[in-house]
Amino acid sequence: MVVAPSPVVSDATADAPSPTRIRVPRRRATTRRRRTELLLGVFALVTTTFGYALVQLADAPDLPPDLWAILAGVIGLFVVAHLAVRWLAPDADPTLLPLAAFLTGFGFLVVARLDEDLARVQAVWAAVGVVAFVVTLAVVRRIRTLERYRYTFLLLGVLALVLPLFPGLGAEINGARLWVRLGPLNFQPGEAAKVLLVIFFAAYLVDKREMLSTGTRWVGRVALPDPKYLGPLLLAWGASLLIMVRQKDLGSSLLFFAVFAAMLYIATDRGSYLLIGFGLFAGGAVIAYQLFDHVQTRVSTWIDPWPVAQDEGFQLVQSMFAFGSGGFAGAGLGLGNPTTIPNVATDFVFSAVGEELGLVGGIAVVAVVLLLCGSGYRIAVQAARPFPKLFAAGLTTIIGVQTFVIIGGVTRVIPLTGVTLPFVSYGGSSLVANFVILALLLRISDDNARVRVAGPAGAATSGAPPMTTSPPSATAPPARPR
Amino acid sequence: MPESALTLLKFVFLALVYLFLFFVVRVVVRELRAPVLAPAGPGGPNPRRVEAPRAFAVLQVVAPEARVGERVEITDEITVGRGGGCALVLVDDHLASRVHARVFRRGKDLLVEDLESSNGTFVNGRRIDRTTRLARGDRIQFGQTVCDVQR
Repeated sequence: MVVAPSPVVSDATADAPSPTRIRVPRRRATTRRRRTELLLGVFALVTTTFGYALVQLADAPDLPPDLWAILAGVIGLFVVAHLAVRWLAPDADPTLLPLAAFLTGFGFLVVARLDEDLARVQAVWAAVGVVAFVVTLAVVRRIRTLERYRYTFLLLGVLALVLPLFPGLGAEINGARLWVRLGPLNFQPGEAAKVLLVIFFAAYLVDKREMLSTGTRWVGRVALPDPKYLGPLLLAWGASLLIMVRQKDLGSSLLFFAVFAAMLYIATDRGSYLLIGFGLFAGGAVIAYQLFDHVQTRVSTWIDPWPVAQDEGFQLVQSMFAFGSGGFAGAGLGLGNPTTIPNVATDFVFSAVGEELGLVGGIAVVAVVLLLCGSGYRIAVQAARPFPKLFAAGLTTIIGVQTFVIIGGVTRVIPLTGVTLPFVSYGGSSLVANFVILALLLRISDDNARVRVAGPAGAATSGAPPMTTSPPSATAPPARPR
Repeated sequence: MPESALTLLKFVFLALVYLFLFFVVRVVVRELRAPVLAPAGPGGPNPRRVEAPRAFAVLQVVAPEARVGERVEITDEITVGRGGGCALVLVDDHLASRVHARVFRRGKDLLVEDLESSNGTFVNGRRIDRTTRLARGDRIQFGQTVCDVQR
């Protein structure tokens, strides 16, 4: 349960004399973290801008005239985000922002190589993303505020999911109805729904995890929790899947499914949920395969793209050619031919990386995402309270699963479903949503640095197995021998 | 530009990317090694160096006028309030609660926690809403009583 905030008697506070203000020097660890963040970020962006120069050099003999402006622009954007962290989350983890900056800068360079016009739009979206980042850090001052409004977020999340289905508001692009058109602006509210629904799931699971982790109904040797508590989950789950299947957005359905299963598992520490989740997924997949033509096409092109290499399989086949011609170290930036792949700047951006920078470049991108996820899970592990813990894990899982789904898709490990490669792919809504995720993770990380010292002062720390890894209570100081 | 030069520059680019990865990994290792928790167990990190318990920090009263200069030593934990059981008794401070706050140590940190007092506890002029770390020179206010942190 969330403890209601203790009412503050306003006139009594007004009575209190205003105490004198003193400047306190920042803690050394804090300043070191921020300095590291700044150095890493600038290094990352100088590197990606160097890559951008290489792309331009492949076509023209001279360095592009706007190179210094671009370098100043990207570093300026990064510094804005960095200063916001300094001001609003000074104790936060120093690796997240530079890793995201690298991916964004890298995405910009790849998109610029594929389509100059898209790159310009992407740059604007990156600026919007940084604004969203700063606003999120500024508005969400305490992560437990989000926990309190869980049902509001559920409502908003579901609303965001169904928004594109409204006639006159929604628009169908590339066969998927996930867009909302507002004047000149197209965006995918589903990207926002991801974050909103993860807030709800984290808050709900924290509330009910004890009921969910103790089974009361036995099915064979497996104890299932009371359907009363599982029901809302299944409902939300099924509804989001249904909506997305109607919108023909298989990638997001898969993403939601995986994220919710992972969160259920983390909240309850019961491996059976992974099994149940996998079973539900397999069942759902079979049903979807029977019911929907486009699912059948996806699967058959995945198993054997060659007979349809000129039609449905064209993208996938071209993607494989791209990886093949890229080889170990790639053709070189600007020297490959990745533009033959349809939608290369969004879904197939990793194929372009594979062609021009080869296995070495592809592994680097995967490594950066892994480090990003590693930092995210580290923040989750360090969180003392259950809600931030689960929330951080859920947000990180979004990024991780999304990366797996799209890289797995374009390399033909799993059937192709269109999602963006976080921070790298062209796509405004996705970029902005990812920056919001980043800001929330940094907020939790900053809270950790304080709460960690304070110990489990919160009301909700007692309880189920996986959440009790909190530091020893502050009320039991280490015994000192006399 | 000749293709050989571009290929060379491509490797420079990839090398820079991997250098970035290396730097990040180094920072991650540093973050992981940083003490997440205060060293538990008797005697701190070195059990052989057993010292007599001495004051970990001192609170020195700077206001109100009548009590300036009073000192309270903190070894493990003290409570502050109007109540008679507190280590720092805030007599006649009608803005203080009976058990107003506690100041305690955790490892190397000195912390203050407001015990749901009516008028709050302030550190350097800011009302605290969670357990807050104190540094030397910080100024804490309970009710109308103000203390300096010395350690």
